[in-house]
Amino acid sequence: MNNDSAISTRGLTKRYGQTTAVNNLDLNIQAGQFYGLLGPNGAGKSTTIHMLTTMTAATSGDAWIAGQKIAEDPVAIRRTVGLVFQDSALDRTMSIDENLQFAAAMYNLSPNDANKRIDELLTVFGLQDKRKRKLLTLSGGQRRAVDIARGVLHKPKVLFLDEPTIGLDLPNRRAIWRFVEQLRREEGMTVFLTTHYLEEAAACDQVDFIQQGKLQQGGSPAELTQQLASYILEITTPNPDNMTAQLTPLFGAPIREDEHLSFKIAEHDVDFYELQKSLGDGVSAMQWRKPNLNDVYLWAFCSPEQGKIV
Amino acid sequence: MSWRPVKAVVGREMSKLFRQRARLISSMVRPMIWLLVIGSGVGSMLQGPEQDGYLNFLVPGILAMTLLFAALLSALTLVYDKEFGVMRMMMIAPISHYWIVLSKLIAATLTAMVQASLLLVLLLVLGLVSLKVALSLLLPAVLTAICCAAIGGLIAVYSKSIDNFAVIMNFFIFPVFFLSGALYPVSQLPAYLHYIVLVNPFSYGVDLLKHAVPNVATDFSVMTDIAVLLGFSVMAIAIACWQFSRESVHEPLFHRATKGN
Repeated sequence: MNNDSAISTRGLTKRYGQTTAVNNLDLNIQAGQFYGLLGPNGAGKSTTIHMLTTMTAATSGDAWIAGQKIAEDPVAIRRTVGLVFQDSALDRTMSIDENLQFAAAMYNLSPNDANKRIDELLTVFGLQDKRKRKLLTLSGGQRRAVDIARGVLHKPKVLFLDEPTIGLDLPNRRAIWRFVEQLRREEGMTVFLTTHYLEEAAACDQVDFIQQGKLQQGGSPAELTQQLASYILEITTPNPDNMTAQLTPLFGAPIREDEHLSFKIAEHDVDFYELQKSLGDGVSAMQWRKPNLNDVYLWAFCSPEQGKIV
Repeated sequence: MSWRPVKAVVGREMSKLFRQRARLISSMVRPMIWLLVIGSGVGSMLQGPEQDGYLNFLVPGILAMTLLFAALLSALTLVYDKEFGVMRMMMIAPISHYWIVLSKLIAATLTAMVQASLLLVLLLVLGLVSLKVALSLLLPAVLTAICCAAIGGLIAVYSKSIDNFAVIMNFFIFPVFFLSGALYPVSQLPAYLHYIVLVNPFSYGVDLLKHAVPNVATDFSVMTDIAVLLGFSVMAIAIACWQFSRESVHEPLFHRATKGN
């Protein structure tokens, strides 16, 4: 293994009975990176995180966090990592302060150090004046922020965020990302993120996709979208079969969802206005745009031949 | 290993115990009902001096009952915390997982002792025990509390959810209480029930408490009581720690999330 790696795995596998949740995973994530593991529900993202944080043991394979083999000393690994669970790990009947003091004591921080750190984090999250409030009285976004504060109390080298924005509205999701970005900048921690909101992973240094436990295709979001295509052309048409037959020779087979077709366009200089004119009344709606990570994901996992959406 | 995480887990349980004062006070109601209603009711069937004798006989029994309920319910928080996610906060902490069980059982023992002490004060005020008897009940109560916490811990680590726990409570808590000699002398039970009393570790706690009250017949020697209570507690706590450290115990906690996402 590589000594500069914050996280590295070799053949990491987890089986639950007949189901293989994570299949032969090889990862190598450099220290300080913002890494995203992306995939649909049930792809094996959480299981991967749980193995890497010693919450569950691998069926086979090895993994290292900051050079330490996880199977050898789970307690030392838990000191090195922070984990923000997908479901809250806080006690709703206690106040923010009580929750964080409790978590800090579990990390063996002295009350003094704990107080300082809690002050610092609540200031970042803008929750300083709510410190004595019960969790029950906070909004979902505020509770999530407290969950993240709990995960970084002990200044972990590697922070795992398991779907940190799930169930939150857009302003709260943005706020959470600002906090994560600030923590990363100020404390230089490696962040391992899982999400199925792919657009949120655009800020990652590197992303990989996981599907049914298998890791597929990785790179920086910018590279991946550039490699995919110059443009994505979306056409809605009452006659998708005709349109597919007409445009496939030009752009290749589309991804099809009912009356909606998506083509990837490799060329830089397509005259879309001309194309629109030539297609005439056959088109009910047409737009072209730069590709994003959602497109990378769709083109990697949805075979145009079958026209299926996973 | 530092004591700070242990203190945090125990402290959290204690602050919950004292925060819920209404619950603390109502936990005194159950033993008082047993003592005054059942004690007087059953006592009225008895003749002359035996009437007072039965009330006296019930004192260690209801003290043991208070310890049993308090310690078992406190150990239940191992399941409760799992159900409500707080267990994750303890699982991700850099301590060996068996410390979570040990801390919870220390908390359960303390909770039981707080309630038992409160009950003793009440009995003292009502003139049902003397100060000397109340004080001499304390040490046997500690051993009984540890034994009850160990029983609770053992049940808790083998329970997957609170529903499961509720079922087990009904299957365990009542048989354990009724077949312990807390309400009647063991010697007069039919043979098959007598054997159940003998394998019930709680019986030895009840018996040890009886030793501290004058004029109450006991079934075993003090040494037997102490040996069984300590032996059982050590074994049960060791099994609970071992079972809790096996990661498959927590798979429902984490795998549920895996399935859901």
